[in-house]
Amino acid sequence: MKAVSIIAVLLLLAGNAAALLLATNQFVLPPAAEAYVLAPKVNVFHLPQAALSVLPYVAAGSIALGLIALIAIIATRSRGPAAQAARPASALGGNQAEAEIVSFLATLQAKGRFVDFVMDDINAFNDAQVGAAARVVHAGCKAVLDEHFKIRPIREGGEGTKVEVPAGYPADEYRLLGKISGQAPFTGVLVHHGWTTDFVKLPTVLRSSADRLPAIAPAEVELKQAARA
Amino acid sequence: MTARFSLGIDLGTSNSAIAVTDMESDHTQIVEVAQIVGQSQLGARPTLASALYIPHPDEFPGGFALPWSEAAEGTIIGQFARDHGALVPDRLVSSAKSWLSNPHIDPRQSLLPWASEIKEKLSPYEASRRYLQHLKNAFLHAEHAEGRKWEIADGQIVLTVPASFDEVARSLTAEAARAAGLGDVTLLEEPQAAFYAWTEQTGKAWHDLVAPGDIIFVCDVGGGTADFSLIAVTDVDGNLELERISVGEHILLGGDNMDLALAYSVRAKLEAEGKTLDAWQFLALVHGVAKAKILLFEDDKLKEAPLAVPSRGSSLMATTISSSLDRATLEQVVLDGFFAKTAIEDVPKENRRSGLQEFGLPYASDPVVSKHIARFLGRSLQNVKSSEKLTALVGDRAGKVALMPTAVLFNGGVFKAAPIRARVLDLLASWNNGEPIRALEGFEPDLAVARGAAIYGRHRVTGKGMRIKAGAARSYYIGLETSMPAIPGYNPPVKALCVVPQGMQEGTDLVIEGREFGLVTGRTADFRFFSSPVRSGDNKGEVLADAERELEETSLLEIEIPPLDDFPAGQVVPVRINAVVTELGTLELWMEHVNSDRRWKVEFQVRTE
Repeated sequence: MKAVSIIAVLLLLAGNAAALLLATNQFVLPPAAEAYVLAPKVNVFHLPQAALSVLPYVAAGSIALGLIALIAIIATRSRGPAAQAARPASALGGNQAEAEIVSFLATLQAKGRFVDFVMDDINAFNDAQVGAAARVVHAGCKAVLDEHFKIRPIREGGEGTKVEVPAGYPADEYRLLGKISGQAPFTGVLVHHGWTTDFVKLPTVLRSSADRLPAIAPAEVELKQAARA
Repeated sequence: MTARFSLGIDLGTSNSAIAVTDMESDHTQIVEVAQIVGQSQLGARPTLASALYIPHPDEFPGGFALPWSEAAEGTIIGQFARDHGALVPDRLVSSAKSWLSNPHIDPRQSLLPWASEIKEKLSPYEASRRYLQHLKNAFLHAEHAEGRKWEIADGQIVLTVPASFDEVARSLTAEAARAAGLGDVTLLEEPQAAFYAWTEQTGKAWHDLVAPGDIIFVCDVGGGTADFSLIAVTDVDGNLELERISVGEHILLGGDNMDLALAYSVRAKLEAEGKTLDAWQFLALVHGVAKAKILLFEDDKLKEAPLAVPSRGSSLMATTISSSLDRATLEQVVLDGFFAKTAIEDVPKENRRSGLQEFGLPYASDPVVSKHIARFLGRSLQNVKSSEKLTALVGDRAGKVALMPTAVLFNGGVFKAAPIRARVLDLLASWNNGEPIRALEGFEPDLAVARGAAIYGRHRVTGKGMRIKAGAARSYYIGLETSMPAIPGYNPPVKALCVVPQGMQEGTDLVIEGREFGLVTGRTADFRFFSSPVRSGDNKGEVLADAERELEETSLLEIEIPPLDDFPAGQVVPVRINAVVTELGTLELWMEHVNSDRRWKVEFQVRTE
């Protein structure tokens, strides 16, 4: 878009410069070209003589404006990428994509207590306690994944069986381990069946304020008997 | 103008759903309802939780805007309202629908949330209106997003109501729909809708699965309510004809009761181990037990399902309590508790509550569903026997104590569990002298009623397709004061005049001849209004000797004839009763002047005790 506007302004400048030079007779064209280009002299639009005399000044003004526009475009262009690089990645401004990630974390926390689990100190507890908590997280997070995605293995069939990786396989769907030589299709033992999702159906995030990220989980405060207002 | 679509709305007690049939493509599908699903999260779900949360002004400043409204609405409806309302129950309106049929309160008064101290309360009528408005907006939004530029006026709208709803509750629901912008909706009973959904899902083969002489028991037990109906299948001139012959009462008993009972028994087990639960942990236990119950019912090889009860603090590993739900407890509580193998004569005990009683929803005092089914089948027999037409229709199925069905259609979330279905079939077989009763295969029991409503609407629009003959489910009566000399200490019984016989078809009206009333202009006249679901034999104009003993009192009727030119104030105007059942399924009572064409509408006035 910026390139197009620069080219347009340059053409405008060139056109105006040519008109100016022609009008003031600074230019001498070969006779053939003269027949074509002598429009200002030939008064094609049947302008009154007074208007014709103003033409050089109009052209000069257009050139000046064009130069100003060109400088402005180039200046803002160079400021653009540099300005963006100067801002830190996790800006407090928070763009929509980051808010959506936080919203997904919030869902995992609300339904599956995921953040509570991971942020806790696991070394302070025995296996039974961790196991009990893991059941809560498993149940809730599984419900979230079942609701918002359709996750399935990339490769059916048990792990440990012989499988064939077809020629032209998508690089993100298969990872080859061990000794890789020769050409596709490759035969080997399935070590991990992979995961993929058919769709992503996440709720829309409603932003209350655009200048900060939403909270992952609110702090909860229990109020007792209503205060007498 | 023919309708371009048929919209079926299931306004449920705990969950609502909508389905639409495109008349051009003849394709029926559930419409996912956009709603607030989490804090600041807008999603779409197949059902809308019938829960309304009234936030404190400081809780969610700015609110959550829905895609069809620029400003955020004051109250929140849907999944987030239910989830958050569980933590702040004082501000959660739930089960508004059951309050609509409660005869002890005025459903237009701001009573909900019940027993809450907040100032901004809503009426059950207003809550229902808001749910319907949300469903309407979500439907239009979803269709416009798909490129179908429909408006409500382009379609046929069908709204389902429980078969047990009496006329007051039905007309309130229809009025709420009108106020929500849905126009004039057609009402359909929920068990009938479930049956329509079954015929559609089974396809043409449904004709082979039922035969003349069949009596189909539609058994719908959802989260909070149980609704029963009987449909008779007969042969009329070589065509299969279906008629709804009996409806049950509005029983506040459902899957939520079972989850609570299981949670109580697990809590007792934990307390015996020395672990106590606070209120939040108990809530989590109820949710956990509901999931464990589903796990155990789906896999009969599992001996127990693990339960983990977290507390609300952030250290999950420190405070999560482990337990398990074993199959023996599940069967003892759910199967032998709620679906006990009782005898056909065992009916629910009516607790005589003397003295003070906590006022609220009339939850079923006897939680055994089997007894409620027995009572329903007994009352169905009573209804059928009281009219020759129905007796002939039913033939030899009528037993001595109860009317036994030949096939069962299960609906509602509770019957997703195969062991519960098997238990009910066993129970019915034991009442049927050991002869088994067929089960008709239902499908997607949470969404069947909405689909059935859309399909019924399509049948109405095209004029083709099977229609269940229904008509008024109850007979209605007006109370008459007997003219007797006053005797101290003796209240003469109130007589009742039948104004609407059971089975009166939609789109018909009748006039009660030979009974004239004198109404004084400029003064309001009150009439007591009664109904009964078990007196199919009463014809129009019949008088019963003792209304209070035989019938159920519903509400007061009120009419005032304004003073007019030829009727100056204070004059007595002779009128007679004109009862109309509209095409939409609502009842209208008019008092028409004996000597001219004029008539005045009688209004329902909900009595408050």
